[in-house]
Amino acid sequence: MSANAHVLAAEDGDGGLFTPGGPGFAPPTTDIFFPPPIVEFGPFAISKYTVLLALTVVVVLGFWFATTSKMKLVPSRWQSVAEMGYLFIRDQVARPTIGKQGDRYVPLLITLFFMILVMNLWGVVPLVGQLPVTANTAVPIVLALIVYVFWNVVGIRKQGGWRYFRDILFMPGVPWPFYIILTPIEVISTLIVRPVTHAVRLFANMFAGHLLLATFAAAGFYMFNPGAPDALLGAVSVVFSGFAFLGFFAFTLLEIVIMSLQAFVFVLLTAVYIGGAVEPAH
Amino acid sequence: MEILGNLNVIGYGLAAIGPGIGVGIVFGLGNQAIARQPELRGPLQLNIYLGMALVEALAILGFVLAFALPYTSS
Repeated sequence: MSANAHVLAAEDGDGGLFTPGGPGFAPPTTDIFFPPPIVEFGPFAISKYTVLLALTVVVVLGFWFATTSKMKLVPSRWQSVAEMGYLFIRDQVARPTIGKQGDRYVPLLITLFFMILVMNLWGVVPLVGQLPVTANTAVPIVLALIVYVFWNVVGIRKQGGWRYFRDILFMPGVPWPFYIILTPIEVISTLIVRPVTHAVRLFANMFAGHLLLATFAAAGFYMFNPGAPDALLGAVSVVFSGFAFLGFFAFTLLEIVIMSLQAFVFVLLTAVYIGGAVEPAH
Repeated sequence: MEILGNLNVIGYGLAAIGPGIGVGIVFGLGNQAIARQPELRGPLQLNIYLGMALVEALAILGFVLAFALPYTSS
């Protein structure tokens, strides 16, 4: 984020705003999403994403082990935090969307929610992260693929393969001539568009948000030019960059909200898809 | 007049119109529903976020395609 932007601004050489003949403003490009590999072996490499992904697993596993390994009837402070997270997913997501059988799927939903939340939040952690893991296309695609396979398997096991796909292909309760239009639409929307948007929604939100923050940070670094030839203009540039950093912090707060919301939306949609597979269509 | 830049960005702008209106309708009517029946706040909020997620899909596809499609300029 800001470190990348700083490097980017520094590459342009000396002088920023109000320097005659100075370099123009170069907004951050998508290159910031491709950090150089740290370790390379053969066709594989370990980049910042891999390290952050491993850290995510450590953080999430550590949190749940620490809070739930020695559970007491009267919860300690951290145990009650974990219980709040559990109850949030169970009562706000699983039960309203899946129904009575929702409790069975709470472990999957909780794992997904906390993994995605931590992976998103790396985008605003200074120094260590500054790169949301979910801004790499591979991560949301694999998560959405797991969910896609999962709810299809759940549907086939709960309803039987024939009935499950019949309900998808031929929505019950519709006069038969409509199937000419409805069946292709249903197949495309349920079996193709659903997993694609599920993955792309998370990816694109993180990608766009991170690019937005990087642009504000780069603008702030570019406009900060107290050594401009004209002292007054130098002061003005400092004020300008102050506004850019104000915007940066405001959008960082907004981005934290969006990160939590996207983790929630991903899990909510997972629950809705599972719920649709568990209960036969009416 | 010469226009420089990537045409895909204009496409993204066009793709954002519909979802923009849609998200406004979703949240506006959702808030109205909560104001009329505050005791149903929980399920209504769930439906608001669900509707937002579904409506947003087109804008997000447009955003990704703005980067993914090859560079063209007029």
